[in-house]
Amino acid sequence: MVNATEGVLVECADAAMKQLLLHLDEKLPPDKKFILHDLDETHVFIASKHLEFLQSEIDCFMDSVSFPLAEKD
Amino acid sequence: MSVQQRTLDCKDLHSYLKTLPAAVLDRLYNHPATCLAVFRELPELSRIYIMRILFVDQAVPKAIMGSWVSPNSARELEDIVKLLTELRVWQEVEMQGGLKGWLLNPTFRRNLKGALLGGGNEWSMKPNTDADPKARGIAVLDEYAMGRWECVLHFMVGSHQHEAISSDALQILQHAGLMKKEPGDNQLSITKDGFQFLLMDTSAQVWYFLLQYLDTANSRNLDLIDCLGFLFQLSFSTLGQDYSTDSMNDGLQKFLQHLREFGLVYQRKRKDGRFYPTRLALDIAAGPKKSMLNSLNASSQATGYIVVETNYRVYAYTDSSLQVALIALFCELIYRFPNLVVGIITRESVREALKRGITADQIVSFLRQHAHSECYKEPPVLPSTIADQIKLWAIERDRFLYKDGVLYNQFDSQADFEILRNYAQERGLLVWHTLNGRKMVVTKEGHDEVRKFWKRHSRNGSM
Repeated sequence: MVNATEGVLVECADAAMKQLLLHLDEKLPPDKKFILHDLDETHVFIASKHLEFLQSEIDCFMDSVSFPLAEKD
Repeated sequence: MSVQQRTLDCKDLHSYLKTLPAAVLDRLYNHPATCLAVFRELPELSRIYIMRILFVDQAVPKAIMGSWVSPNSARELEDIVKLLTELRVWQEVEMQGGLKGWLLNPTFRRNLKGALLGGGNEWSMKPNTDADPKARGIAVLDEYAMGRWECVLHFMVGSHQHEAISSDALQILQHAGLMKKEPGDNQLSITKDGFQFLLMDTSAQVWYFLLQYLDTANSRNLDLIDCLGFLFQLSFSTLGQDYSTDSMNDGLQKFLQHLREFGLVYQRKRKDGRFYPTRLALDIAAGPKKSMLNSLNASSQATGYIVVETNYRVYAYTDSSLQVALIALFCELIYRFPNLVVGIITRESVREALKRGITADQIVSFLRQHAHSECYKEPPVLPSTIADQIKLWAIERDRFLYKDGVLYNQFDSQADFEILRNYAQERGLLVWHTLNGRKMVVTKEGHDEVRKFWKRHSRNGSM
């Protein structure tokens, strides 16, 4: 029987970024998990209600892997 | 949900003309200056074609024209045929014996001949015969033009140290979507497009602004054709020469006053009876590609004022609050001196700019364009680490692309999957699909349609 699920398709620029999503998802408690389907190398299907949370998580992650390149004084 | 990066669409002369209705184009070609302006902007091959058939007063068969290029340039020929047809420079006609041929637009032919050979009515503007007792030199005109233009830009960045601009200019800024009124707020504020506009080079800005102005020409009772014709005339005038306003009708006089406000022409007094075109006006027909202004910028030290070091520091030798405001769009300012501002490019400051809709390329080209003359002595003008890093910061923001949709999976058979996938694909509703595991995503809007189709299909199948 065909199944239809509403959500958001996330297209990742590369496979590594998808692994990051899987990793984020893995660490979360069951009620917070956002990944509905792991589609292929660069695509995942996620629940729309968690999108904002995910975006802020990724921003945080990006902030944590960047370091100030220039000294201010 | 998907985030589309939109850049400001700045049309060149031809793409603008193509948007005009055919009747307007035909009337436009009544003016030799327009024909010459259109002609000189054409690609080389089309210029050759036009020159070859300019004096042939009848249609020329396609087969003959086709033989003028070697077979491996056939693509190029196709392109110019399309361009010339769209510009209504020539039309396809049926010749005797059913041959297809090309015929130059008779108005265009007559006026281009007139422009190239002379004869007919005088089409260029007449220089004043009596010398202006208070003649203005080129340097004064340049200064005036840039001053007026910067006044508009100043207004956009909201530095209120300069005089206010007219309601006409305000209207154009709003019409162009460069500034908008926030609901419940009386002040105009700058939009995403406005930020991009600020970082364009001056000739592109003027051109974009004028296009928007011409868009609204009819609503201010100006004749679009007169205005365009006049602009093209202006672009063939001589810098530093004064021209008479005697032969201009009321509409054009009004237009001239607007051009004066934006610094495209200089007039000492409104009732002076003479005006000087400035470099801004001479540039118009050239469109954003090539311009005299850029050569002006390159030669004068005053406009190149930015030094960027590999440690992300930006030194701007300027006392203009406009230039400081522009740098502050993507820099964090740390020191400010009377003639020097020091800033630093950080990930945060660049991200802030990106969020406002400015692209990495615009930042980089802005820094290159306004680089201090000292920077040119040792290329690269902008350290490549800086240019690369700004682009990397931009790419970092779109590592993920989000699209709303509905996922269909758990199909019973490959045939079912393919039927539904093809159905969605034909209607442009399919976002993504994979054969492996039989999964597909359709758009949210298309979900209802696809579901109905599936219900119909499965009912028929079970019968």
